[in-house]
Amino acid sequence: MKIIATYNIKGGVGKTSTAVNLAYLAAQSGYRTLVWDLDPQGASSYYFRVKPKIKGGSKELIAGERELDGLIKATDFENLDLLPADFSFRNLDLVLDARKKPTQRLKKLLHPLSDSYDFVFLDCPPNISLLSEAIFETSNILLSPIIPTTLSLRTLEQLKKFIKESKLKDLQVIPFFSMADRRKNMHKEIMATFSEKHPDILQTAIPYASDIERMGLERMPLGGYTNKSRSTEAYQTLWQEILDAIK
Amino acid sequence: MTAHPLYFELPEHMAAGKFLSKLSKKIDFQIASEQYAIKTFYDSFDWRLYNADILCELNQSKTASHISLIDRNNGECLALENQQDVPSFSNQFQEGRLKTKLDSLLEMRALLPLCHLPHQIYQINVLNKDKKTTVRIKLEEYEDLGSRISLQPLKGYEKAVGRVSLLLEKSLELAPTQSSILNSALKLQGRKAKDYSSKLAIKLDPELRSDKASKVIYHDLLKAIKINEAGTIADTDTEFLHDYRVAVRRTRAGLSQIKNVFPDPVVAKHAGFFAWLGQITGATRDLDVYLLNYKQYKSALPESLQDDIAPLYAFLKEKQKQAQSELASQLKSPIYIKQLLAWEQYLKEPLPKKGCSSAANLTIKELADQRIWKVYKRLIKEAEEITEYSPAESLHDLRKTCKKLRYLMEFFQSLYPVDEIKALIKALKGFQSVLGDFQDYEVQENSLKKFSEEMMANKVESNTFLAMGVLVQYLDTMRNAARHDFTKQYALFKQEQNKIAFKTLFAPQAEVKKS
Repeated sequence: MKIIATYNIKGGVGKTSTAVNLAYLAAQSGYRTLVWDLDPQGASSYYFRVKPKIKGGSKELIAGERELDGLIKATDFENLDLLPADFSFRNLDLVLDARKKPTQRLKKLLHPLSDSYDFVFLDCPPNISLLSEAIFETSNILLSPIIPTTLSLRTLEQLKKFIKESKLKDLQVIPFFSMADRRKNMHKEIMATFSEKHPDILQTAIPYASDIERMGLERMPLGGYTNKSRSTEAYQTLWQEILDAIK
Repeated sequence: MTAHPLYFELPEHMAAGKFLSKLSKKIDFQIASEQYAIKTFYDSFDWRLYNADILCELNQSKTASHISLIDRNNGECLALENQQDVPSFSNQFQEGRLKTKLDSLLEMRALLPLCHLPHQIYQINVLNKDKKTTVRIKLEEYEDLGSRISLQPLKGYEKAVGRVSLLLEKSLELAPTQSSILNSALKLQGRKAKDYSSKLAIKLDPELRSDKASKVIYHDLLKAIKINEAGTIADTDTEFLHDYRVAVRRTRAGLSQIKNVFPDPVVAKHAGFFAWLGQITGATRDLDVYLLNYKQYKSALPESLQDDIAPLYAFLKEKQKQAQSELASQLKSPIYIKQLLAWEQYLKEPLPKKGCSSAANLTIKELADQRIWKVYKRLIKEAEEITEYSPAESLHDLRKTCKKLRYLMEFFQSLYPVDEIKALIKALKGFQSVLGDFQDYEVQENSLKKFSEEMMANKVESNTFLAMGVLVQYLDTMRNAARHDFTKQYALFKQEQNKIAFKTLFAPQAEVKKS
């Protein structure tokens, strides 16, 4: 079981659509896949039409009183399940802080699922907090969408520095450009310089596109309502690149 | 798991369209797909999958073709793979869950199609307020078998499946069903599941006159011979011939061991025919056994020689092909058909009012007691005489006596308390198998020597002969181990508990009282 967190310190960079669309592609190719919506806003739960509510809320969840398996919901797509968000997730930091070894908690909770899924996507809230640290400890891959702006470069560097200082040797950070607008010269320039400076950035960029934005109206992954477009192709090549990078 | 029924039958007059229109008044749903498909059920001839509560089905439509193993009790899919055609044997499937499961259940038996069922299939998604699918409904409309509905629960939406099940049962008044569409399809063919088993299950009335009861037994064996004939001729798998030969051997044992119930000339005439059948089927069966054992042979060799044994496989395969085709033509010959018909005719003929001998006029229970007791005593006598130095022949003779006793006990098992006779048959089987191993290893050793001489002519590499030499050595070790095990297995068989059981069940009252 590989655990992939879609994460960025900044909000609104395309974390949820990345998690939802890549999970959809993984499931389509036969991998048993789970999306865990850790964001109290419950955006990925919304995309899958699942109520953002779990029995017992964050307290019982983190205490391990409920097995994750009992909280999982099947989505409308084969091989793809969801662990929904809950509004109480806004307090996850506090709940974690009250436990011993808080950063090990998520790993422990996910362990019993290791035979049931090939990929788990963690859709993470923005910010850098105790929850983020727990996510870093749990994940194999930190997939970080970056909007091509100078501010984003700074956050990527901050993130890398933090991970280095935390000695998270096993965590593989994979950044890629998200919401890239080809019409903006600034985006093009920044993408060119960024890639030079950070050769680990994936080749594929996810475009800023109206069909991706429509996910909120359609309430399903892009592939559920669009057969073939620039965006679907971008996600497919991105997924392929990720699979190659983690092999 | 929900306690609500998951499978329903539509009433005969209700077409799919009508059902859907009724359903639309009750719940929100969406038809995800509708297409023409063919479902084919598979199993081995002796129902190995069905006996393990598994159904194997190939579902073919325009867009997809997949084979799946389904738990017969709860409908759970145990394994699923894309597959265009179904191979005959489990070892021809690709590695995976399906193959692993089939390997352990089918072993050497072929997968055979049971029935093809063309149907129209509707995939229906039941939606909640958010238009999220909470239950999947599969509606299959069969040509001659009516329509079936199955509910597929989705993880985390168990309550919804209960609600839909209740709705179908109460509001739409559909009848829940437990049995698979396979059972209905078989019924239409005039068959039923598990209609063949290689195990004997002859029900006898203890008061029945011996000669009449014997005919019941032979009739059952003849049925087994006839039912396995086509598969033997076609060489569908090795077990058709195996079961065919067992039925022939049982008939021979019956003719020699259920003594004096038919006139001597009748017995002589037919016993000759069955002896001939035993003889003409022997070579093919022996070769089948070597081929089935090949994997074991190979793994008994040191790794460096394992590839060198391959020419032996090719040789055996070729030889088996020849022997099998000779056998097939014998089983199609007029002489075979004529003699089998004569036997069948004899079994059909009514018996004279009075039996041909005093044995024939006994009740079958009396005769069974006598025969089993006598052969049992003979077995003990022969076994007691065996020492470390006894020649192989005495062990072979003992094995034959064992077999005779075993067949008698199996023919007559319905005349005795089930648990007691089963336990004794089991004990006998354990003892018999060590004798069987001893003889089989010896025969295999000798055959391998003979094969190597024949293979000399085929310009086979010297390493192959080296490997075969190692194999002979291995078989010899195994034979000695079986010989060594004899004392232990015999001690187990003759233990006091078994002795008492044999005596109580079969000995004449006078002898029981005496002890």
